[in-house]
Amino acid sequence: MPSTLARSRPQKLARAILYNGVNAERYPVEVGLAGEDMIRVTPEGDAPVDVPLDELAIADEDKVQLIVSRRFVPGWRLILDQPVDPDLRARLPHPPRYGGWIDRFGLVKATAALSVIAGAVLVIGHVAPRWIAPFVPPSWERNIGDAIVGDFGELRCRSPQGDAALNALVERLDPGATRPGPRQIRIAALHVDIFNAAAIPGAHIIVFKGAIDETPNPDAMAGILAHEIAHVRRRHVTEALVRELGIGALIRTFAGGIGANAEQVVGLSFTRANEAQADADAIATLRRAGIDPRPTAALFDRLSNKEGGDTRPALQFLESHPGSESRAGNFARSFDPEASYRPALDPAGMKALISACDTPKRAPGKH
Amino acid sequence: MDMIGSAPVAQERAVRFTGSWREYLPIAATNVLLIIVTLGVYRFWAAARQRRYLWSRTEVIGDRLEWSGTGKEMFIGFLIVTAFLLPFFLFFQFLFPAMVARGKEGAAAGILLLFEVVLLYLGGVARFRALRYRLSRTWWRGIRGGSDEPGWNYGGEYIGRVALASITMWIAWPWMATALFRSRWNQMSFGSLPFRSTVTADGLGRRWAAVYLVPIAALILAIVLAAVTGFGAAAAGTKASPTLAAILVGLFVGVYLIIPLMTLHWYAKYYRKAAETMSLGDLDFGFDATTGDWLKLFLGNLVLAVVTLGLGLSYWGYRNWAFMVRHMHLFGEIDVTALAQSTTHAPGEAEGFADAFDIGAI
Repeated sequence: MPSTLARSRPQKLARAILYNGVNAERYPVEVGLAGEDMIRVTPEGDAPVDVPLDELAIADEDKVQLIVSRRFVPGWRLILDQPVDPDLRARLPHPPRYGGWIDRFGLVKATAALSVIAGAVLVIGHVAPRWIAPFVPPSWERNIGDAIVGDFGELRCRSPQGDAALNALVERLDPGATRPGPRQIRIAALHVDIFNAAAIPGAHIIVFKGAIDETPNPDAMAGILAHEIAHVRRRHVTEALVRELGIGALIRTFAGGIGANAEQVVGLSFTRANEAQADADAIATLRRAGIDPRPTAALFDRLSNKEGGDTRPALQFLESHPGSESRAGNFARSFDPEASYRPALDPAGMKALISACDTPKRAPGKH
Repeated sequence: MDMIGSAPVAQERAVRFTGSWREYLPIAATNVLLIIVTLGVYRFWAAARQRRYLWSRTEVIGDRLEWSGTGKEMFIGFLIVTAFLLPFFLFFQFLFPAMVARGKEGAAAGILLLFEVVLLYLGGVARFRALRYRLSRTWWRGIRGGSDEPGWNYGGEYIGRVALASITMWIAWPWMATALFRSRWNQMSFGSLPFRSTVTADGLGRRWAAVYLVPIAALILAIVLAAVTGFGAAAAGTKASPTLAAILVGLFVGVYLIIPLMTLHWYAKYYRKAAETMSLGDLDFGFDATTGDWLKLFLGNLVLAVVTLGLGLSYWGYRNWAFMVRHMHLFGEIDVTALAQSTTHAPGEAEGFADAFDIGAI
C-alpha cells in the first residue's frame, strides 16, 4: 500500500532557532513537516506546535541560513541552517528578489522592457513640448503670462515716449502687432541693469535698461526685437513653458535669492535650434522692413569680442544665445548693397528710446 | 533571566560586519542597471535591497540584524512627501517670480522667509521620522525598534535650536548638534528598552573653535610668508603682486581644504562622544573612528568612484555602513527575556524626505 508507505516515511527533523516575536529569548527547536500543509515546531522540553505552511514566508536566505517569517505574528522568526530539507524549502514561497514586477518577468526581460519605456519617455520629454506648443490656445498662454508678470509694477520704465518708440519699432517689424487682439505683442522696458531682452509667456517682450543703454543704435535694437518677435510667433515661448513645467523645474526653483529670481522671470530657456530659427526669422524680418542688418551684426561682434575680457554685459546675453560670432556673420552677410534701408526710428523716436528708463523707479528697488 | 552580552566573549567583537564586496556585487550591479532603465524610480527598491543585505551581514551579539522595509513603502512615502511639497514648489516656480515681476519684492521676500521657516521645520520632522522609520524596520532576535513620538515637537525644537545657532554664526553648533541628538534618541526605543543619550557639548568646544581659528591662522601665515618672499621678489624687480596671490591661494586652501578637514576633525570626536554617552538598557555603546579613519573612508570612496568611472558610487552605501559597524562597540549585557516586543506604532509608509533620499539618519 503506497499511501501507508508515504505516511510512515521517517520525518526529517531539523534543528533550528525560534524567536517568537514576543521577547528576545532564543528557543532551540526541532522542525519537521506535519502532513501536507503544516510544519511542526517542537521547542526543547516543550509541547510541539503546528504552523500552517501558508502562513509562512522566506524572510531571507543565503548559503548559511534560511530565515522564515510568519504572517500575523510580527517578529516570529524560524532560523534554519542550510542545507534545508528540499521538501520543506519547496513549500515556502520565494522571497522577492528585485521587486514584485521585475521578478514576474525576470531580470533580463524586465530590463529590456524598461529600457524601451525609458527611451520613449526621454524622447517624448525632449520633443513633446515642440508638438504640444502649437496646440496651447494663445488665450491660456496669455493668462499664464499675465499671472506671472502682471504689468511689472515698479520695475517698469514708465515713459510714454519710450513706450511709443518701442511700439513703433515693433510695428515697423511686424505691422499690426501692437493692435489689441489675439496677435497683440506687448512690449515693455524694465529698470533692470542687465544686458538682455526676452520673450515671455503671453506674447510679452521685455527689454532691460542695460540693453537699451548698451544699444544706442535703433537698427540694432530692431534686430534684437525681431529676434524676440520670432520667438513669440514661432511659439518657442510656449514650448519653453511646457518644457519648464517638466522635471527640470524642480531643480532650478530651490536655488537662488531675489536677484537670481528676478532673472528667473525671463529664465525660460530656448533650445539652440529655436535660437537659430529666431535669428533666421529676424534676418528675414529686417529685410522685409527695410532695416540695415549691419548694426545688429556689429552688436554681436562687440559681444563676441567682449567674451574674453569684460564679461559684465556680454555674458548675460551669451548665456542664452550661443555663438555670437557666427550670428554676427549671418546678420552681416544678409546686408544687401542694392537695397534701400531706412533707419528703424526717426531721431525723435531714437531719443525717446534711449531715455525710456531715465525716469527713476517709483520706489527704490534692489537693482 | 537570560543574560547575554559581550563580556563572556571578550575576544570577539559584539558588533561585527560579515559582508564581502564580492557577495554584494550582484546586488550593486543589478541596482545600478535597474535605476538607469527606470530613470531613477527603482532607487527606492535598490535602497531596500541594499539595506536588507547590509543589515543581514551585521551581527549584534551573535545574531543578525534584519531589515524589513520595502521599496514600495519608501516609494509611497516619497510620493506623499512630494504631494506635500507641491504648494511650495508652485510658490517658488510661479507666485514668487510673479510677485517680483510686479515689483513686490518685499512681500515676496516675506513669504519666502516664511516658507523657508516652514521647510526648515519640515526638515527637522523628516530627520526624526527617518530615524523612527529605520528603527521600526530593524529587527534583532524578533524584536524591532521605534518611537511613540510623531516628531512634530522635535521639528519645533529643531527650528529653535538651528535659529539660535545661526544667530551665533554657528559658533554654538556643538550645543545645537548635541542637544538635537540627545532629544532625538531619547524619544527612540528598541523593543521595550528606551535609548538613553546624555551627550553634551562638553569637550567638543575646542575642536569646533579650530574650525574657525585654524583657517584664519593659515591665512595669516600665508600672508606673512608671501610678504617675506614678496620683498625678495620686489628686490629682484618682478612686478607681480605676491601678497594678493597668497591671499587668494590662502582663501582657496582655507575654504576647500582646511575648513572641511577641521569640520571632519570635529565630527570624528562628536560621533565618538555621542556613542559613548548612549545606552540601551544595560548595553553601552562605543565608537572608535578617528579623523584619520574618516578621511580614509572618504578618500577611499572618492578614489573608488574615480577609478571605476562612477560605478563605484554604488559601493558608497556599503562602505559607509561597514565603516560604522566596524567602529561600533557594545559593552555590558542585555536581558533578552525582559526585552519585550516594541509597542510603538509601526509607520505604514517610509517617512520623510530624509529617508527617501537616503540622508543619514544617525
